[in-house]
Order: sequence, then structure tokens, then C-alpha cells
Amino acid sequence: MTLLRIDDVYQSYEAEQVLQGVSFDMQQGDVDVLMGPSGSGKSTMLRCINRLTEVDSGDIWLGDTHVTAPETDVNELRQDVGMVFQDFNLFAHLTALENITLGLKRVKGIHAEQARERARDHLDQVGLGDQTDAYPAELSGGQKQRVGIARALAMEPKLMLFDEPTSALDPELVGDVVAVMQDLAAGGMTMLVVSHEMGFARSAADDIHFLDNGQIVESGPPEQLFEQPEQDRTAGFLSGLQADGPQ
Amino acid sequence: MSTEESSAVDDVSIAAGVSVERPWALLVLAGFWGWLGSRWINDFLLPDSIAVSSERSFVPVDPVAAAAETLGSVAAALGPVGAPVDVVASLVGFVAGSLPHLPALARGAWLTLLLTVAGIGFGFVLAVPLSVGRVYGGRWLRWLSLSYTELIRGTPLLAQLFVLYFGLPLTQVIRELPGVGAGPLPAQAFWVAVVGFTLNSAAYQAEYIRSALESVDAGQLTAARAVGLSRLEGIRYVVLPQGLRYAIPGWSNELIYLIKYSSLAAFITVRELFFRAEAIANDTFRYTELFLLAALFYLALVLSASVVMGWVEERSSVPGVGGRR
Amino acid sequence: MVQTGDWVFVLSNADTLLFGLVVTVMLTLTSLSVGFLLGFPAGAVEVYGDGVLRRVVTVAGGLLRGTPIVVILLVLFFVVSISESAFITATVGLGLRSAAYQAQLFRGALQSVDDGQLEAARATGMGKLQAIRHVVVPQALRRSMPGFQNEFTIVLKDTSIAFAIGLAELLTQGYNLFTQSGRSTAVLEVFLVISAVYFVLTFLTNRGLDRVSDYYAIPAGENR
Repeated sequence: MTLLRIDDVYQSYEAEQVLQGVSFDMQQGDVDVLMGPSGSGKSTMLRCINRLTEVDSGDIWLGDTHVTAPETDVNELRQDVGMVFQDFNLFAHLTALENITLGLKRVKGIHAEQARERARDHLDQVGLGDQTDAYPAELSGGQKQRVGIARALAMEPKLMLFDEPTSALDPELVGDVVAVMQDLAAGGMTMLVVSHEMGFARSAADDIHFLDNGQIVESGPPEQLFEQPEQDRTAGFLSGLQADGPQ
Repeated sequence: MSTEESSAVDDVSIAAGVSVERPWALLVLAGFWGWLGSRWINDFLLPDSIAVSSERSFVPVDPVAAAAETLGSVAAALGPVGAPVDVVASLVGFVAGSLPHLPALARGAWLTLLLTVAGIGFGFVLAVPLSVGRVYGGRWLRWLSLSYTELIRGTPLLAQLFVLYFGLPLTQVIRELPGVGAGPLPAQAFWVAVVGFTLNSAAYQAEYIRSALESVDAGQLTAARAVGLSRLEGIRYVVLPQGLRYAIPGWSNELIYLIKYSSLAAFITVRELFFRAEAIANDTFRYTELFLLAALFYLALVLSASVVMGWVEERSSVPGVGGRR
Repeated sequence: MVQTGDWVFVLSNADTLLFGLVVTVMLTLTSLSVGFLLGFPAGAVEVYGDGVLRRVVTVAGGLLRGTPIVVILLVLFFVVSISESAFITATVGLGLRSAAYQAQLFRGALQSVDDGQLEAARATGMGKLQAIRHVVVPQALRRSMPGFQNEFTIVLKDTSIAFAIGLAELLTQGYNLFTQSGRSTAVLEVFLVISAVYFVLTFLTNRGLDRVSDYYAIPAGENR
């Protein structure tokens, strides 16, 4: 079933055209990766899906919900879309557990005890069951990002968005986060990931979309894009990535 | 107008050497509050049969005065060698001279405390919406909030008090209210002063809170919204808890400021600490004793506030948000 | 409550108010200068000094910051009796208070200049005093601009407290106008006008100091 439909989306910021007619679909359970040079509009695309940024024109559909319609309740929509940020954005004044229970209690209206149960389960799921009472300042980058993933997962979203989840991490911490993402993918979560992590893209992605200058230049499975890209621009970008060494 | 940056904590307490590391200083403060508290209980709460008269000090004056005199004559008899004894004699004399006035000053200090607490408390209630409106509001709300804070912060507190007390019929209005001036409730001038301090403090607190809110990373609110919290909920549960912690140093400054500037209420006839000191000094011509006493009182109040705010900062801090670096 | 006759009254006494305004401005400038002349060395002593001198400066500063300005003024006037002139007394009182706060201001600014700056200067062979004077102080002074602007408006507003020792500054003039002339209906107009004057003064001062600050600012640079 088509879970996400992006239909001819345009978005601009001040005088600059950021997205220029982007269209693609995702089926439930798909794991898609958005790649491209900086400024190509990848992050903006993600933010349009949960309406942190508004599109200028075009449509986005999430299941039966018409995301871009003005009458759609933004807060309800965001319960169905989980987002993981490059800078983690963990709530600094709350413990790891409380970071997760905040949404459960205030948005979903779940009782405190039950919320704590669920939060603990999600922290276990990402391998941080022993860090429930730690504050973000006391966690490493990789741990923070995993809490961020748990926080998003706890809302039981239909779609998970990842905005360069490992770009702010030291190389040795990247592995833990990628492992969590791979588990999620294997478990059937629909994921749209903006990332330079080629290892993840190769192993877990169903489709890779190469975005440049606000337009999708080429889409296809990893084998195609990495081995036999149809477009020169795609080849140029990806070989530059690969030249940066194992990631 | 440029922001009034108050990132430097007005650490009067550290200057005066009062801190947890100097227990004797804390003891002196504790003694001060012990005496002040018992004076208040004695004058306001205890029935006349048990209480010491509200006109008389706890410690009888005559023995102390006699001691001062004796010491003085001993010092004189010892000649130049008696200089240190002379110093002690003056100190004891100072105490003897101060004792009769302590009860009145204590009653004044009560009003000072009330004024300060009311000013900062009500001011805070007004300041939070002011600053939230300024940071997150639409154009009109921002403009309104900005105008208010700029107007209040750009004019002297004394002028504001004069406008309220002499210029507006506030006193008439308040006087008509039930209970004003009767029993424990102070008379109308006090309430006018409370209004003045509230309006004034709200403007300054709004600035501190605003800059603290702005120092909270924008990503915090974004993440809150991404989880599905509404804008208001995001501000209430994520931004404010952090922002308010960052605002604590500014808040300490404001508390100390209010303690000191509550003395201005004397000019609109509120019988707080400074009013009393000046009144007694004019009566007795003992300017030195009275103003020194007043200064000591205010210092004790300010130091206590510093210590308390330091404790608040420690207790409310969370690793990564707030607390002394 | 608001009558045209009252506004006319205010206008016709504009010269008295103007005199008060001049006194206010003069007092602000003299107090700030005293504050700077005493405060900057005090701040430097708190950062670089030690021993008795540092202790004295720290305690004196704490005492001055913990006492209400009104008490300071009255002590100087009645107890220490510095001068018969209310203006001089007020200058000393406001100046001492300002010195105490400016000391904190400069202490913070001096401390905020990275230690590496001093190290680098000494590494070229400069003596400690020289290094402080040529490398640390210029940077510290620039960083203290926002705080100094703040202090300027505080002193300006505090001049109104010289009311307590009868100095003929702006607020006192206004007060005398309505009490002595018996024109008590004009109270609101008088104080509103005076408040407006203070507001304009603080506004102009901040704008002016913004300009000065911009002129002396160290360019932030484009390479981030």
C-alpha cells in the first residue's frame, strides 16, 4: 500500500527555490534514502512531510491524510510521523526516560505509570535500558541520538524521518546508531532517511533518490545508483562520497 | 534599546565572604533572622499578656549603657594604653544607643520584606506573559510588550511611584477597599507602592526572562513540535523550564535590586525600614547610629537573598541546564 | 482630571524644569566619571591583584552594592558630611555606587578575554603590565560596552534619588513645582512630562552609545 506520496512539491525560502517539483512514492515498509549535495533540499523535503516547513505548491499524502491541506491538524499529523534530528534536540532539562514520556503523557494522554513502562521498553529497544535517569548532558552523541530515535518511535508513527542522523557523531559512535536503524528497517518500519552513510544505504535501502538543486535527478535501487547510475551527476556525487573513505 | 545584559551574577554574598564555606557568616545571618523573626512574632502575634512591649527591646538598655560608660572610664583611666578598650567602649555604646530603636526598625523591616516579596511575586506573574508575548507573539503583541518594558525601564522608579501616588487617584480608590488599613493589612500607601514595584519589576524581569528564553536552543521547540506538542505546549513544557533556569542569575539581581529600592517607598509615606530610620534620626539627631543600623539591616537582607538564590540555583539545576559553572 | 490649564502651567514653568534637567545631566556625567575612575582600577585589582588590597576592594564593593543608594546618600550627607553642597555629595554617593558596579563590569570583561591572549603577548617578550595594557584592556573595554550602556541609564535614573538630599535635579524640581505653587491639580501632568524627559534621555543615550560601540567594535569577520 502506498504510504507516502509526494506530488510535484515546490518550496522556496526568501528568493531561493529549494524544492522544484519533487515527486516520489513510498510503499509501507519501504526504506528510502535521500542523497545529494548540501543545499539540494533534502532536509527541507523531510520538514515538508511533517509540516515543520510549508510547501508553496504540490501535495503530500500520508496514507489517507492529505498532509498539505490547510485544514489538516498539524499536531495530530505529527503523531504519525516521527523525526530524528541531526543535532538530536533532546529536551535538555529532562532525563532520557522523561524525554520519551513527555510526548506520551501530553500528546497521547497516556497515564504516567504506563508511559514510563512504554518509555523503558523503547529505551531497551535501542540498547539504553540502563540510562533511563541520565540527562542529555551526561550522554555521548551516539547515546543521545538513540534516545532521539526512541523518543520518535514511542509515538508509534507510521513513518520515520531521519535528517542526517549520524552527521554530528564521531566516527566510532556512528555504528551503534546505524545498527539501531538497520534493526528498525528489518522490523518493517517505513523510513525516509537523509544521509551520507553509504553502508546503510547499500544494505538497507529499497530505493535511493539523488536530489540536486531541488529536483530528483535519479531514483533507483542501491545496485543501480552505485554500480550503474544513469546520470553523470549521480555518478559524480557518489564517487566523491566514496572517495571520502569508508563511512 | 540595547538589552540590559545581566549575565554577571551580582554576587554580593561572595564579595562579603558569606558562603557555605564560611559557616560563621551564615551563623550571623541566622542570628539576625532569629532575632527579627522573634521580634515580629512578639509584636504582631503574641497577646499583650506574654509579649514584651512593642516599644521596648528584648535586651534591657540600662545595663548595656552602664557597661559602655564603665568601659569608657576604664579606657580614660588607662590613658593611651586604653585605646583598644576605648574601641570596645564605643561599640558597646553603639549597641546601647541602638537598642531602643530596634523594635521600630524591625517593624519597618517587615514592610520592606512584604514590599519586596509582593513586588517580585506579582512582578513575575506579569513578566512571564510579557516575555512569552515578546519572544513568540505576533507583531502587535511583540510591540505592546516591548513598549511596556521600554517605557518602564526608561523612567526612574521614584518618578513612577510619584505618578502613582500623587498623580493618580489610586490612593482614594484603594482606601475605599474593605480591610485596607484595618488590623494586619497595611494602609493605602503601601498598596500603591506594591502596584508600583509590581509594574516596575515586571518590566525588568520580562527582560531577564526574554533573554533567557532566547538562549534556549531553537531546536528544542522544533523537537517538541515534531513530537506533536502544540506551540503553547512546547513553550510550556520544554522552553520555559529551561529558560526559567537560565533566568535565575538575573532574578537574583532583581531580588537584590528590589530589597534596596524598596527604600524609595518611604517617599510615598510607606513606613518601611528606611522611613523609620530617617524618622528616628530626625527625632533624636543620632544620624550615625540610625543610618549605620539601616545599612546593616539592608546588608543582612541582601546577603540573605544572595545566599537563598544561590541555593535555589543549585537545587533547580540539572546537569547541562543551569547551576554554577 | 487632565485639564489644559495644567499643561499650560507645566509649559510656563519649563525653565525650572530645564534647570533641573541640566543638573540631572551634569550629575549623571560626574557620577559616571567618578565611577569609572574608581571602578576600572578596582576591577583590575579584583582580577590581577592579591592580598590586602584585593580584599579591601572586594569588601568595599560588596558593601556599596548591598546598601540602598538612598542610605548611602544620607550617610554621606548627615554622618560623614562630605560637603554642604548636595551636588557634590550626590556625585560622591552615586559615584561610589557606580564604581562598585563598574568594578564588577570590568572584572567580568577582563576575565572574559581569553588567557591565550595574555600568553601570546608575554611570549613576544612583553612584561605583564605591558601585556595587560596593550592587549587585554583594549579588548576588555570593547566587551564592556553593553554593560556600560546599562550602567549609564541606571545612574541617570538614580539621579532622581538625590531628591532625598534636596538637590535641585529634575524630579525634585517637579515635586517642588506642584507642592510649592499650590497647583496640585497639575501633579499628573508634571510627573508625566518629567517621565517623558527621562525616557527621551535614556533613549538618546542608548542610541548614542550604540553608535560609539559600533565605531569601536572589532569586526567579527566572515570566516566562520
